[in-house]
Amino acid sequence: MTDFARLLRALHAAGVRFIVVGGAAATAHGSARLTLDLDIVYDRSADNLDRLVSALGPLRPYLRGAPPGLPFSFDAETLRRGLNFTLVTDAGWIDLLGEIAGGGTWDQLARHTTEMQLFGCPTLVLDLMQLVHVKRAAGRPKDLEAIAELEALADERDRA
Amino acid sequence: MAPSSRSIVPDPVIETYKKDVDRTLLRENLRRTPDERLLALMDLQRFTAELQRAGAAARRHGR
Repeated sequence: MTDFARLLRALHAAGVRFIVVGGAAATAHGSARLTLDLDIVYDRSADNLDRLVSALGPLRPYLRGAPPGLPFSFDAETLRRGLNFTLVTDAGWIDLLGEIAGGGTWDQLARHTTEMQLFGCPTLVLDLMQLVHVKRAAGRPKDLEAIAELEALADERDRA
Repeated sequence: MAPSSRSIVPDPVIETYKKDVDRTLLRENLRRTPDERLLALMDLQRFTAELQRAGAAARRHGR
């Protein structure tokens, strides 16, 4: 199980600049679909990479699905050399995304967010319409049901 | 207020899928806070893991 509260509190405590995207963002908006991980788009500024390491390092992040024993070091240099990381931690699964298809980077997505209080932390969450746009842009057949649910959610929210 | 669904250009394929969405679940979720929605998701993850464990155990015992 992914402990969303623990992950979000760790990120917030370290002052990480990030946006919750993907299934967890959909859940925060009201989606009823199951998702197993926390997806975030993070600011790739050098100071923010340090903050990410400070936040998640104590949770012993490791590459999800990789065989044990690989020489993976979760440090700012590793983050700088890569872009997207799918990780397993002591608090569950988290995907660190430098950018997303159809949405771009943290800078580009920041204007399409809603601030929510999640477990006591003010958290930027991708807004519902942008979630739809991103999923449509990805063009994956497996997302069709998810897009339909998000659009239905927008309908219901408008009616409420 | 958040952007409206009116800004979405309808896609006929998505509209077909929308007919199968269980809106009662969405209405229930919209009555919850974002924290409550995430906590419910964590409960669902636990339940799913338990079902997977039970299914694997049943297969091991040839049931």
